[in-house]
Amino acid sequence: RAAGGKAGLAGSLWLAPLMLQEVLFEISRILNTGLDMETLSICVRLCEQGINPEALSSVIKELRKATEALKVML
Amino acid sequence: MATPDQKSPNVLLQSLCCRILGKSEADAAQQFQYAVRVIGSNFAPTVERDEFLVAEKIKKELVRQRREADAALFSELYRKLGSQGILKNKWSILYLLLSLSEDPRKQSNKVSSYATLFAQALPRDAHSTPYYYARPQTLPLNYQDRNAQSAQSSCSMGSSGISSISLYALNGPTPTPQSLIPGQSYQAPGVGDCLRQQLGSRLAWTLTSSQPSLQSTTSKGFSNAVSRGVPRSRREGDTSGSVEITEANLVRDVLYVFQGIDGKNIKMCNSENCYKVEGKVSLSKSLRDTTSRLAELGWLHNKIRKYTDQRSLDRAFGLVGQSFCAALHQELKEYYRLLSVLHSQLQLEDDQGVNLGLESSLTLRRLLVWTYDPKIRLKTLAALVDHCQGRKGGELASAVHAYTKTGDPYMRSLVQHILGLVSHPVLNFLYRWIYDGELEDTYHEFFVASDPTVKTDRLWHDKYTLRKSMIPSFITMEQSKKVLLIGKSINFLHQVCHDQTPSTKMIAVAKSAESSKDAADLFTDLENAFQEKIDAAYFETSKYLLDVLNKKYNLLEHMQAMRRYLLLGQGDFIRHLMDLLKPELARPATTLYQHNLTGILETAVRATNAQFDNPEILKRLDVRLLEVSPGDTGWDVFSLDYHVDGPIATVFTRECMSHYLRVFNFLWRAKRMEYILTDIWKGHMCNAKLLKSMPELSGVLHQCHILASEMVHFIHQMQYYITFEVLECSWDELWNKVQQAQDLDHIIAAHEVFLDTIIARCLLDSDSRVLLNQLRAVFDQIIELQNAQDAMYRAALEELQLRLQFEERKKQRELEGKWGVTASEEEEENKRMKEFQDSIPKMCSQLRILTHFYQGIVQQFLVLLTTSSDESLRFLSFRLDFNEHYKAREPRLRVSLGARGRRSSHM
Repeated sequence: RAAGGKAGLAGSLWLAPLMLQEVLFEISRILNTGLDMETLSICVRLCEQGINPEALSSVIKELRKATEALKVML
Repeated sequence: MATPDQKSPNVLLQSLCCRILGKSEADAAQQFQYAVRVIGSNFAPTVERDEFLVAEKIKKELVRQRREADAALFSELYRKLGSQGILKNKWSILYLLLSLSEDPRKQSNKVSSYATLFAQALPRDAHSTPYYYARPQTLPLNYQDRNAQSAQSSCSMGSSGISSISLYALNGPTPTPQSLIPGQSYQAPGVGDCLRQQLGSRLAWTLTSSQPSLQSTTSKGFSNAVSRGVPRSRREGDTSGSVEITEANLVRDVLYVFQGIDGKNIKMCNSENCYKVEGKVSLSKSLRDTTSRLAELGWLHNKIRKYTDQRSLDRAFGLVGQSFCAALHQELKEYYRLLSVLHSQLQLEDDQGVNLGLESSLTLRRLLVWTYDPKIRLKTLAALVDHCQGRKGGELASAVHAYTKTGDPYMRSLVQHILGLVSHPVLNFLYRWIYDGELEDTYHEFFVASDPTVKTDRLWHDKYTLRKSMIPSFITMEQSKKVLLIGKSINFLHQVCHDQTPSTKMIAVAKSAESSKDAADLFTDLENAFQEKIDAAYFETSKYLLDVLNKKYNLLEHMQAMRRYLLLGQGDFIRHLMDLLKPELARPATTLYQHNLTGILETAVRATNAQFDNPEILKRLDVRLLEVSPGDTGWDVFSLDYHVDGPIATVFTRECMSHYLRVFNFLWRAKRMEYILTDIWKGHMCNAKLLKSMPELSGVLHQCHILASEMVHFIHQMQYYITFEVLECSWDELWNKVQQAQDLDHIIAAHEVFLDTIIARCLLDSDSRVLLNQLRAVFDQIIELQNAQDAMYRAALEELQLRLQFEERKKQRELEGKWGVTASEEEEENKRMKEFQDSIPKMCSQLRILTHFYQGIVQQFLVLLTTSSDESLRFLSFRLDFNEHYKAREPRLRVSLGARGRRSSHM
């Protein structure tokens, strides 16, 4: 991955999105966000489009709670 | 995973909802609606978009969780992230990840971390309330039911629900107690407020005042976040009237007080002029003391601020004052910077809430330590402000300078810095004055004052004065006098001498002058540099001025000309003039015309050595007729005059010229006496032989001779005294001083001393009025003698003539053969001769009276001389009475000269 990072520096952009995904997923894993790859990519795209991350994170938390509540209920 | 980016946010959001909920799109519709609403209403982020800050936060959080390896890994990943260029909104995603992150370690922390998550997600202004309160209404019913059910299921819920959170087992990163929190917020709206209050929103204070009990109860549940808010008092359940203040509140209040704004609990008490904590509040004494100590800073700040604000409105405050205010403002800005750092520290803690922990939170103690140095600074500044009240200009600079004399190096450097700034305008004034002679001082701050009403002829003497109150204390009196002189010289050159070109040396000196370091140099030890500058400027300017005066305006030559003409230095000219004028001046004064006399003057000039003089000088020489009183002869009104103008008039002012004229008058009179006596002597010599044939006259003539000799001696001694002891000596002194003079002031002073001495010694000043009168009386006697003698000679000569005629007729008649003389003729002749001889005793007695009178006057004169305070006059008396002729007659003169001297000194 490190080598890939350097390759990314060299400018081959078509590799970069994949690298980027991996990096972000790694960060997300370190921080224990509980997001899987696909959710993460949606979130990234939403953020890139300018959504307020504060609001987005509260939404996600709410949805999770709803899920858990559902789970508990169930 | 290569979903195209062109999908709209709505679609993305919907798919997100589906994924998280794990449902199909239809089922997730409600949640989707909700999500859309939330996102739509909180569109703008309330936190600053600083990705670096977020990354730091993440690292800190990881470190705090003792996952250093992960922190390092994150740094690496972040670096990689930084190197790519695809993501434009890195901050956004990082913030999102951070806010979704969870600490896998302790369970209790998780709850509080949720609390902080909530707090972080909250916008900070009061408008954020709809989120919490709106939710219960907008949520779908089943959600609410779910909440209610979950609330019911936990039996220990209630208003103190938060405290029981920790009891719940938490499993996994998405623990169930999430549900509790919205429930709590629904059931006990105050709790959310407590959260907010504990964790950061300022304005939420207003909501908490009705919930005192909750404050104490919440203190148990939240470990880290609450620790700061623990009130020192141990009364936890106490909900009686007094409001408890936590240290965090005090810290916030104190930060406001630092700026001079009243805090919530600490307000300005005007009667005691200090900041005090409101009385109703219950605070431990130590807290109160610490708070008051901190509040002092606010008081000092107010004082300084008040001064600068007042002064900035004052239009006539002047440049020095303005620079002082600017310096104070600068210091205040530094202070504000410190305050903003403290504030941001506070904000940071509020942001992070839990994460920072106790070690770096702001407490009163920490504030005390951090504000210690600023407090000293502010104290110094406040003391300065007090000291400088009501002063401006150079006085203000002196006041600030007084404060540099302190042993504390910190204070000294601060005050010196301010002094440097403050004295900059003064030095500007100074340099402009020294090098250009310009003075633009609208607010009267400089110590040189210019009087605009003075015209150019009095420029040197009256126009520029020293304003003593504005002399700064770091400039000595001598320096300031020199400064005044330098500027005066430059202005004099420009305006009176019409000389605009500064000498090259002066320009060089001006160029080598100031930098902004000069002010600092001035006060450190390089006062020598400043002194040198002044000295150099002084030297150059004065030298140049004297050069101009001497070369262009011939000052010294004019001085010499004064000596020659007005002080009768040019002997041959004066004598010739007197010869020529004698017949004119014998007439009564009213018949004299100026142009006649001027013509005679010119004749005299041309006939003597005076013709070789500078024509410039000769053209200034003139005749002046004084005011005519009745009975005056020409002698009384005649005077010479010397015209002065331009720069010369600065040295030979009008008073000087009038002094000169008085001295001339005196000298002219004395000279006239000499002249008269010469005539008398001539008469003696000429007529003695002729009158040998009249032996009866011999007695009279002899007496005449004796008297005349006495008078001659007297006048001789007087002339000697005047010429040698008075005039020559003073002139020599003057000339020496003038040759060595370094500036115009020296010349003027020397000249005035010269004139004063002459006037005193010539008995013309007010002290010697009596002596002068005596002398005049002597002179009058001489004139009397002349008159008497003339009359006598006339009579005698006439008689002689007649006798000779008689004899001749007799001889002739004898030659013709007639009787030589008839009886009647002879009788007539005898009668006439007898008449003549009878008149001789009358003449004799007249002479005797004259002599007696004269001697009496001279004796009195001598007595006055011996008792005068001037030593040279006493010696004059000695000379006048060298053979003690008068001493024999006048007992008062018999006391010895030494005793006379002592006697006069006792008087």
